[in-house]
Amino acid sequence: MNPALRRMKDLPSTHLLGAGSAMCAGCGGLLALHEIYDLLGARTVFVNAASCMTLLASYPFTPFRGSWLYTAMASAPAGAQGVRDALDILIGQGRLPPEEDLTAVALTGDGAATGIGLSATSGAIDRGLDFIYLCYDNEGYGNTGQQSSPATPLGARTATSGGAHGHAASKKDLFAIWVAHRPVYAATVVGADPLDLARKIDKARALTGPRLIHALAPCPPGWSFDPAEAVEIGRLAVKTGVWPLKEYVDGKVVHTHVPHPRLPVEEYLKRQGRFRHLFEPERDVQVLARIQSQVDAYWAEVCA
Amino acid sequence: MYRIRLHGRGGQGIKTGSRILGSAFFGAGFEVQDAPVYGAERRGASMAAHVRAARSPIRERGVITRPDLVALADETLLQVPAANVLSGVGPDSVLLLHGNGDAETWRARLAFSGTVVVLPAAGEHAEAELGGARCAGAAARLAGVISRQQLMAAIAQELASLGPSATETTTAQALAAYDAVARHAGVLRESRPAAAVAFAAPEWIDLPLESARIAAPDIFAAATSVEMRTGLWRTMRPEIDYAHCNRCAWICSTLCPDSAIRVLADRSPEIDLEHCKGCMICVSVCPPHAIRALPERAARARELAAAP
Amino acid sequence: MRRLLTGNAAAAWGARLARADYVPAFPITPQTEIIELLAQWFDSGELRGRLTLLESEHSMLTAAAAAAATGVRVFTATSSQGLLYAMEMLYTVPGWRAPFVLVNVSRGLASPITLESDHNDVLAARDSGFLQFHCASCQEVVDSVLLAYRLAEDPRVRLPAIVNLDGFHLSFTREPVDLPTAEAAAAFLPPFESHGIGFRASRPVSQAVAVLGGSAYSYFRYETHLAAEQALAAHGAIAAEFAQRFGRPHEAVERYRSDDAEIVFFMIGAFATKAMDAVDRLREAGVAAGLVRPRLLRPYPAADLQRALAGRRAVAVIDQNLSVGKGGVLHGELASVLYGQPDAPLLASYVGGLGGRDISAEEFFQIARELQDAVLAGRVPPPRLLYTAGELRQMRNLQAIAAAPGIAGARA
Repeated sequence: MNPALRRMKDLPSTHLLGAGSAMCAGCGGLLALHEIYDLLGARTVFVNAASCMTLLASYPFTPFRGSWLYTAMASAPAGAQGVRDALDILIGQGRLPPEEDLTAVALTGDGAATGIGLSATSGAIDRGLDFIYLCYDNEGYGNTGQQSSPATPLGARTATSGGAHGHAASKKDLFAIWVAHRPVYAATVVGADPLDLARKIDKARALTGPRLIHALAPCPPGWSFDPAEAVEIGRLAVKTGVWPLKEYVDGKVVHTHVPHPRLPVEEYLKRQGRFRHLFEPERDVQVLARIQSQVDAYWAEVCA
Repeated sequence: MYRIRLHGRGGQGIKTGSRILGSAFFGAGFEVQDAPVYGAERRGASMAAHVRAARSPIRERGVITRPDLVALADETLLQVPAANVLSGVGPDSVLLLHGNGDAETWRARLAFSGTVVVLPAAGEHAEAELGGARCAGAAARLAGVISRQQLMAAIAQELASLGPSATETTTAQALAAYDAVARHAGVLRESRPAAAVAFAAPEWIDLPLESARIAAPDIFAAATSVEMRTGLWRTMRPEIDYAHCNRCAWICSTLCPDSAIRVLADRSPEIDLEHCKGCMICVSVCPPHAIRALPERAARARELAAAP
Repeated sequence: MRRLLTGNAAAAWGARLARADYVPAFPITPQTEIIELLAQWFDSGELRGRLTLLESEHSMLTAAAAAAATGVRVFTATSSQGLLYAMEMLYTVPGWRAPFVLVNVSRGLASPITLESDHNDVLAARDSGFLQFHCASCQEVVDSVLLAYRLAEDPRVRLPAIVNLDGFHLSFTREPVDLPTAEAAAAFLPPFESHGIGFRASRPVSQAVAVLGGSAYSYFRYETHLAAEQALAAHGAIAAEFAQRFGRPHEAVERYRSDDAEIVFFMIGAFATKAMDAVDRLREAGVAAGLVRPRLLRPYPAADLQRALAGRRAVAVIDQNLSVGKGGVLHGELASVLYGQPDAPLLASYVGGLGGRDISAEEFFQIARELQDAVLAGRVPPPRLLYTAGELRQMRNLQAIAAAPGIAGARA
């Protein structure tokens, strides 16, 4: 661990990402991005997939102090590949001084990361691409009005899962998919825990190769909660064990925080309108139990 | 044809308002078009919706450039140039203002040559989400061709999926607005389409070929987004009580998604009100509870009062 | 030096002579030889730079344009289904205004899946913003790659370019090719000049940003159109320089014995050389036939075509493509620039050569006969698919084996 990152006070006090972007008030994705950008810095080129963050920049306004390239929903990792390869060629042939180099960062939502862009992601990891893959996960196709994505959790109501029990499938495990590829680094983070996030970004920054930063992104309109609660929801995701904070490094998965005591998942669920149907007009005992048992099973394995 | 433009902020029910009004006209026997103006809608950001109603099939499409009625759910948008609230209005236009003040003062302040009707915005934020519905109710009365029953039926239809309590609240608000502007019933008149004689010809040009460097959607400067005054989205304002701020360093600053809280040399946080969107995360995370939330209207009123 | 090369090898040589820095690749028949050769040359050091195998053509196009936007010279190649798989990016990246060259080896599109050539794949990219060169010989392939780089990188243009060659008929066919020397190629095509594009630590840029509203969108889109139109004039000068250096004129429109022709074949691609042969045979038979072949399809050389066809009596557009529900694409394109022209010829439509189906000499002769009749009658015959009774009989045999219901001889 970087000894310089022990306390909140060690985090940057000035912020790089420009204010005035078009993200919603209380956006958990923007929260994570702004914390991450402070640490990665402006010597970066963000290669953006179609997502809410398509509109981070809209002509002639950009919040970035470094560079940015917009691609398409499926192929941000391939865009990062082209940029990385081109910079390597230019620097390798002495056509560009090394100090002009940039870190390539693919920035995608969970829909791109777990669905339409998964083969491009898999390909990039497989090729050993030297890049950081930042997925902000708001557990649905947020920019189009929160339809279910492969990352939508069990029981959540979305614009396409409005039935009595909400989303019928469980959340696809992006972290495990990455780990199966044996990348140099993978981590889960949440903007609500900036210190844990900072340590991981710091670690990722020092490595070379494919690196995943998977940020849970509480989404006020998509998850239906008051924007002021965005940080509290993120904290509850960690405290209830719904969102394990962990990293994969040197071939091992390590949990950077084991919630103890672990709060019941209901503490997290009941704060969000997308789960309201699980509590009223009457409790959906079965779905609530399934969600709790999935989380319990996860941690039983971790702590075994 | 009636050409009606509703303006408001994301979250104020502008699209719902336009649909209520559209359905109400339809129920009153009109041909109707209603549509939101598509953009990057975010809670608090300015947005608009259109309603056209006529006694014959409507062939116009898209943006209403010359509105007969502009219904403004949030009068603070008049300070937002990009909202284009008054675009295309003329002496025959009606401006329905959901806000405070009296019509003549607004008329003078805005140098507005048409009719101004003020729909008093009572009760600060209980009705924030109902501005669109209130405007719809008032607009229905201003047209003078929609009955209370037709308005209620339209609301019941549009809000059916949200359940009886939402329908009830909305109906009450819309009917209150309908009644509040009763003495202006019929002030809104149908206008005629643009005439094909003596019109102003468009100033077409032959677009010049320009260097690829400027003719690509590329931005060559850093952080130009600060030009976007997202502070105008705010309906609630965070205010730091420096007497209680314990200079914890930067919990509020780190957890502000919008980079809108900076930390001064003495470790005091300072909120950038030009960009703060009013999410109130800082209010909820401040350990000594030294940041409070107050309604933006009240904060502005206080500022105006304090101004020399 | 003249040597025997396949069209694929000629394409690879084009990239080599252009000193491409970067080749993102994904294999597809009949393009694979191109990327295999380039991979060998990168491995052996005959090319400096890098070839990266992507996991799809969509990613390949993204990587190609992203690298071009970072400031290196990029070459890539695909075909058919691959071009269509990349279609989203094909329409996206011209707006980035970062030039590079994509070779497409034309192959018919599914369904049914086939391996042989026609032009529907590349015509699906017609409106994308890529410039399009269409080759009729392996020589033209290598020359066109060099020309395409010059044109795409021209400061007035700055658009990506497609060089198209027909699968099998060029891709796998060896022909004598006069390869420019490396020095001559370098003299014609100087090192890539990025004109300030590229991602650099010292120079932040946000590229390919979204716009809100139709007005800004209209500006950026139409500027790519104006740049493509500008490419027409630029191409004239570049082709003239190429002709001066290498002795091979590659004008935007090739006219073969057409200036005094009464009837004209109009087509693109490799089968155009068959049409040339037919022209010679027809001339021997006393028919004043000619061929007009656009090499450049985007930008569309409208004025050159109007001039080339003014005063001709009748033109047969032979489309190796099919716009389903409309007919031949090139027929409609040509009609649009001839309509209302004084002295415009009659315009007949033939669709042939779909999925690699041959066009026989006799078919050219018969088309010429129909054109002559059309001139006498003052009106053209209806559009025709080149397809014979023998082919339909053969089809019936296949259907019988397939047990197609209702076919005589079918077993079920």
